[in-house]
Amino acid sequence: MKKQKSEHELFIAKTKRKKVGIMAIQILLLVAFIGLWELAAALGWIDSFITSSPSRIAAMLGELSKQNLWVHIGTTLYECVIGFIVSTALGCIIAIALWWSDFLRKVLEPYIVVLNSLPKIALGPIIIIWVGAGPSAIVMMTVLICIIVTIISALGGLMATDEGKILLLRSMGASKWQILTKLVLPGSLPTFLSVLKINVGLAWVGTIMGEYLVSSAGLGYLIVYGGQVFKLDLVMTSTVILCFLAAVMYFAVALVEKLLKRR
Amino acid sequence: MEILRMDNVSLTYETVESETKAIENISLSIDEGEFIAIVGPSGCGKTTVLSLISGLMKPSSGTITLMGKPVDKPGAQTGYMLQRDMLFEWRTIEKNVLLGPEIRHTLDDEAKKEAEELLKKYGLWEFRKHYPGQLSGGMRQRAALIRTLALRPKLLLLDEPFSALDFQTRLSVCNDVHAIIKSEKKTALLVTHDIAEAVSLADRIVVLSNRPSVVKRTFEVDIDADTPLGRRENGKFGEMFDKVWKEVSV
Ligand SMILES: Nc1ncnc2c1ncn2[C@@H]1O[C@H](COP(=O)(O)OP(=O)(O)OP(=O)(O)O)[C@@H](O)[C@H]1O
Ligand SMILES: [Mg+2]
Repeated sequence: MKKQKSEHELFIAKTKRKKVGIMAIQILLLVAFIGLWELAAALGWIDSFITSSPSRIAAMLGELSKQNLWVHIGTTLYECVIGFIVSTALGCIIAIALWWSDFLRKVLEPYIVVLNSLPKIALGPIIIIWVGAGPSAIVMMTVLICIIVTIISALGGLMATDEGKILLLRSMGASKWQILTKLVLPGSLPTFLSVLKINVGLAWVGTIMGEYLVSSAGLGYLIVYGGQVFKLDLVMTSTVILCFLAAVMYFAVALVEKLLKRR
Repeated sequence: MEILRMDNVSLTYETVESETKAIENISLSIDEGEFIAIVGPSGCGKTTVLSLISGLMKPSSGTITLMGKPVDKPGAQTGYMLQRDMLFEWRTIEKNVLLGPEIRHTLDDEAKKEAEELLKKYGLWEFRKHYPGQLSGGMRQRAALIRTLALRPKLLLLDEPFSALDFQTRLSVCNDVHAIIKSEKKTALLVTHDIAEAVSLADRIVVLSNRPSVVKRTFEVDIDADTPLGRRENGKFGEMFDKVWKEVSV
């Protein structure tokens, strides 16, 4: 006799089916988009000189990989990752310092608010003059864009610690350092993780913006250069690579999140 | 033996907008093994009294002595259980219970052994690896009490420990907590605005007036029953309740 499936097993099977279905449609959508694009270009519905096409992008990718594609990818990736790490670490440290000292927080509050609303790209020329035109200027740009948001969100998380729990620790005779390490930091882990995710996106914005402004290598440089000489294949190819890299980095952060959340 | 003594203790909260006189000339003495309840209207200063005894605040005037020594900072003699259970969601029940010894740098094998015994005795041993989110409200409250007991306090300070629970759970947790405190032979000071709760738990009830609060009257509770539920079923319960209720509401 066939064993009857339990309610729970049925539920799991159903959830799994749903998940597979969603993934299938996602892949289908991508394939359909690429196919339609290629078809439209081949049949001349669109001018592939302006819109490029998947096959032209593939050809460009092959051509570039024989030249210095890796240098460009490496440059951009390096700038983005360094900017991301520096701004996240520094931003969190500053946020902790501001949590620690009420006085410092109150003094710096208006400055942070103003810096937050300032469009950081306006500082571009200053950065170039101060740190020179090169990867360090781009890292600087990335850090500037990420760090203020990091400070504001991280501080928000730290300050949202339950007052009652602080009182409990104080009644046990805890020092401020103990309150920070036993309660405030572990309690702010969710905020920290969301800061990481926001920063992945912002770090790319900062890096590409920096490369638009000043660069001699990198994907942002390729995009600007391609635009200037009207090589749309180059622009599209670089954009596709960028999409891919951004996705990889996002998933890396999502993985870190999963690891940290698994207790 | 006298554990706690408060002499003419007053406290005024100072803020930029105003001065709030919370309590005025409160005197109180608690002997070892006693279970005292403080009742009074909302906002009269009950939590303030506990904060003062635990050393979280200093009185504006008057003195508080605990085991013969003046209280000037949070010390090892009191265990404070707050209105909500305040369990840390990211720690297991076991780790939550050991929080006090960890903070006080007294986390040794002996402390672990004691926590283990408490958890076993009060039915949370099976759940020691669970997180607070996986426990019922009553179990969480029990865990919070065990965390307080793991501090090995001479005096337990309980600030409306049952107010977050629904009525049914409240009665049974009240029974549990009473049994635990009695079997550990602890001295306890409970703050509540639930008169029935005070009458069912305490040996002595101190009624505070409206703000600025003074001690209005003290009642000895003399109902012959071993448990809070037993007391509630006793004929004298209603009479005692009325007496206290009249004192609180006039
Ligand atoms: N930090 C504070 N600053 C200023 N005033 C305060 C502060 N804490 C309490 N008060 C005031 O002191 C009075 C007593 O407060 P307390 O918390 O001790 O009352 P309570 O009896 O515990 O009230 P409840 O029954 O609502 O818990 C209240 O009127 C309150 O407004
Ligand atoms: Mg209160």
